[in-house]
Amino acid sequence: MKLYEHEAKKVFDTMKIPIPKQYGVIHSIEELDAMKLQYPVMLKSMVLVGGRGKAGGIKKANNMEETKKIASELFKLKIKGLAVECILLEEVVDEMGACYFGVTMDPATYHNVVIVSASGGVDIEQVAREKPKTIIKREIPDNSRELPEKIAEDIVCSLLKDLPQMNYLKDILVDTIVKLYATYQRFDAKLCEINPLIITSKGVVAADAKMVLDDNALFRQVELLEMLGIKEKRHDVAERTKNELRAQTAGFPYIDLLPENHAKDPHKLYVGLIPGGAGYGIFSIDEVATIGKRFFNDRVVPVNFMDSGGGPTQNKVAEMFHLLMDNSDVDLIVTSRFGGISSCDIFIRGMVQAVKERYENGKKMIPVFGRMVGTDLPSARTFLEKAKAENPDVMKNVTIFVGNQRIMADVIREGIKKAFESKGWKI
Amino acid sequence: MRLIAPDEGMLYHIIEKRRPDLAKKIRNTRTIETVVVGLGGQGTRHAELMQQYGTAITAGIAPGRGGTRLLETIPIYNTISECLTEHPNIAVASIWRHYSTAKDATIEVIEAGIPVVVLISEGIPVRDVRDILVAARKHNTLLVGGNTPGVIFPPEGIKVGMLPDVFYPQEVSTEEFGPKGVTIISRSGAILYHLSDALASVGIAQNAVIGIGGDGAIGSTFRDLVPLAMEYKNTDLVVIAGEIGGCQEELLAEDIQKHPEKYPKPMVALISGAHAPEGKTMGHAGAIVSPGQTYGTFQSKKHALEQAGVPVANSQYDLIEEVKTKLNDKNYFDVEHYYKKMKTIWDAPAKKPGWSTLITNVMPNNLLISGYPLQDIVERKGFLEVAYLLIKGEFPDKKTLEEMRKIAVTAAKLPVPKITRLHNEDVSKTLVKYLVLDESLAAFPQEGIDGAVKKTIFCLGRAARYLSGIYGTEKALEKLNENEPFSYIIYRAITGNSKVNEKHSRLIEAMIVACVDHGVTPPSAQATLIAATTRAPYEVAVAHGVGAITDVHGGAGAKAAQFFNECIKKAKKEKIDVSLATRNLMREYIEEGKRVEGMGHRVHTKDPRRDVLWNLATQTGIASEHVQLSKIISTIFEQVRGMSLPINVDGVIGSIVADMGLDPTIAKVLFIYGRLAGLSAHYFEEVASQPRMRQINFAEAIYKGEEMRKIP
Repeated sequence: MKLYEHEAKKVFDTMKIPIPKQYGVIHSIEELDAMKLQYPVMLKSMVLVGGRGKAGGIKKANNMEETKKIASELFKLKIKGLAVECILLEEVVDEMGACYFGVTMDPATYHNVVIVSASGGVDIEQVAREKPKTIIKREIPDNSRELPEKIAEDIVCSLLKDLPQMNYLKDILVDTIVKLYATYQRFDAKLCEINPLIITSKGVVAADAKMVLDDNALFRQVELLEMLGIKEKRHDVAERTKNELRAQTAGFPYIDLLPENHAKDPHKLYVGLIPGGAGYGIFSIDEVATIGKRFFNDRVVPVNFMDSGGGPTQNKVAEMFHLLMDNSDVDLIVTSRFGGISSCDIFIRGMVQAVKERYENGKKMIPVFGRMVGTDLPSARTFLEKAKAENPDVMKNVTIFVGNQRIMADVIREGIKKAFESKGWKI
Repeated sequence: MRLIAPDEGMLYHIIEKRRPDLAKKIRNTRTIETVVVGLGGQGTRHAELMQQYGTAITAGIAPGRGGTRLLETIPIYNTISECLTEHPNIAVASIWRHYSTAKDATIEVIEAGIPVVVLISEGIPVRDVRDILVAARKHNTLLVGGNTPGVIFPPEGIKVGMLPDVFYPQEVSTEEFGPKGVTIISRSGAILYHLSDALASVGIAQNAVIGIGGDGAIGSTFRDLVPLAMEYKNTDLVVIAGEIGGCQEELLAEDIQKHPEKYPKPMVALISGAHAPEGKTMGHAGAIVSPGQTYGTFQSKKHALEQAGVPVANSQYDLIEEVKTKLNDKNYFDVEHYYKKMKTIWDAPAKKPGWSTLITNVMPNNLLISGYPLQDIVERKGFLEVAYLLIKGEFPDKKTLEEMRKIAVTAAKLPVPKITRLHNEDVSKTLVKYLVLDESLAAFPQEGIDGAVKKTIFCLGRAARYLSGIYGTEKALEKLNENEPFSYIIYRAITGNSKVNEKHSRLIEAMIVACVDHGVTPPSAQATLIAATTRAPYEVAVAHGVGAITDVHGGAGAKAAQFFNECIKKAKKEKIDVSLATRNLMREYIEEGKRVEGMGHRVHTKDPRRDVLWNLATQTGIASEHVQLSKIISTIFEQVRGMSLPINVDGVIGSIVADMGLDPTIAKVLFIYGRLAGLSAHYFEEVASQPRMRQINFAEAIYKGEEMRKIP
């Protein structure tokens, strides 16, 4: 979970990492009137993406009038598709130099890694590509909770080779990197970053602050979340779509693959997926797209990612089907049950429940094509056969293969073929 | 379906690499022992499934549950170090703990020196994962996971984790090393099943299937496992299933190029996520593409692997094609045969849920206690010996028996309060009142199985004392000889005679032993078991069972004794033949709507306890007119009612009690007293081997104790 800059700065402040004076965060221009500002003042758009400066999301103002003007412009701004909902106001820091401090985990070795660079204030990944030598990296393989002073000194000494004029700041820099590492460990962060760490006449100031928390550890960071006033886990960077919000409320992972308000191509078949666990959730998208390309002239569009595994309740399964059948794009639902934890029985009951409810309420019905094998298969099979015998009209367009005589790719291909035929499309 | 011995399989190969000494031991035992750490719902359920698949589960670890058992027979320890002291050959651990405690549990297992650790727990904080990785590196542990569905080795029939049993080995092999196959290594569980499925559909067998876990930081990566799999002689090809996010696939590609000698066998990769949008997490913490990254995308992985000479598929069809090509269309098994076999799995009726008991095997006309036929026990063993057997599964040796006798005698000597019994109060109710109030019994320690057996023996001693109080026979117990057999004490408590009649004493004990247990379904056992699920104290749970013994359940012996008495009296009074008197009395009973007790049984048509008691009654010279009558009562009943009901053990006991001239209610007391031992055994078994507050379906219980055996 990413923290906003002002939140990360609050954390840094409690860890005694120097930050610029904070005037506050506003959600509307009206809030400015009550603020006591000293000019010049920095206005920073609070969005959870990088590159805010380049996008014009960070501005300096010299008086109230200017502040209001800039703020109202920022509130209209969209940065990488994200609306600016709040603005941080803080003091302007005089800069004598800038560097980069960061702590994260190396994705290859899974060691903590302290990264510093004399090139502060620019995109560190770009620096890494263009001037890799200016980046100093130090891995901490033992996952110690504190950064040993000796290592911190080594790192700072290497840094000061590039910044000899800053030698007098050595102790402060050592102290800052030790504190940043401690912050990373104490709060279960995946990333703690200061970019830039500004060198002033008096010392250093974290002009920007970035923290990404480990979602898995949020359960034990209650005090931190309380301090920041965060009540629920934040999700992805991008704004969630209506469907994604609905799935979140129902309690299962779901992602729209198509932008909201896209125009449906009348010559293509849109396939919704209720595929099982997260891994097959990703793979089944590829399967549908590949089969569409190979056998159906690229006229098949997968609609969504869904993780329907891990033992959902019957109502949750029903909601998965409702969600896709309420989606006006979807022409066909492909589904698969395979594995150890989820019960075929609960799944099939949930599916039948949804289809029945829709039939009885005259809602849109979409053909379902799929396969099930695994836990509770015998009772699931019996239930399905009974449902088909008792409600042939309701179950008319539900085809579920029992057992693995057909691999899922064949099931998907056949489902799409049937859907093409019923639309009278040539294959 | 085990096709090769465990010490020929890939898991053994892995253990040998890490701990050559342990591997030597495995070669001797030819068993790879595993331990299940964390016995919540999932751990317990999958322990059973793993065992059914063929995995040797030696022990379970659950803090606070040490001394109890998993799946009725597998010992549970509080800590892994305690466990390894008893079972030093354990080579593999699976960890099912909650994410908040998984770290400590895993590190404990690693530090104990277990070479292969499969970390099933998901959602572990990454800082904790790093601590686990530090420990694993230090101790040279092969860690798989976290967040893995586990590993499965089809040819040797070993599964560690929660994978379904769908992976298919080569069944018949003409090759030197036995069944060969493809090893699948995947970040996702669900993808594993679909890849296995795809390969099996063209007759390609799997010799190992490994889920490495979907998290951002995991124990073993592709780079660690692919070379291990390739080293193993029976692996023909390795399939890796990667997905977007992280840089494992790229690192593997780099390693292949740097160290081609580590990758001597063909390999095919499947990468998922070609159509995933940027910046959105899709389920797996590891599967996110961050904008601007130079690794982690579908393209970066595909490119890196292809540069290293590994073909990359993105669909089941492509995977099948690539693997077939690499294997030159090699066929491992007949696909039709495979589907037929799978169909038997899919078509199988739902498995009945069950739980098990090791105490008594109740079969029609046969009752086995810990494998010993009850009639043999009645003939040859005393009450304390069988009480001991019920709990420990074996008879005590002489020294132990003497120790037990002392405990029972001590208990019988301790004073009891003055017994008050309301007029017509059921004797079981009277006993319940005093059992629950007994402080010496409550205070008696019950640690471990030895504690359980001692407490039971103590309880039997106390109960003898209460019975004497109930029947006003305390005087007969006053001059207790410390060294006399416990059966004498029982005799005196029940009959009130100070002087022991050896033969009567013997017969009384035999009748008590005949009543000790009848499995988990009698209402008294059910009542005790239900109380035990709430972990009620021993004396309370046993009192529940005793309280359930009424005229309806367990009271038939007393009723039968009374009936036999009446028949003989009637014959004498009316000076008619006993069978005629019995016929007439039976008709009267039936007309009045009364039941004639002592006949018929829900399980037995020929009660196994019948003949042994009759014989003993004859041998001791006690058998007389009542016993004679009991032998023809079934015939008389058939003449009167036109249906055949066999005499049961209650009828036999009733007739002997009548021949001994005892109060008919004594027949019921013998039943209660004997059953105290059985109820105790069920109480301790439940507490030691089942989860608390479970819902018991009594009809589902399966006997899993000793097979039938002879008393040595």
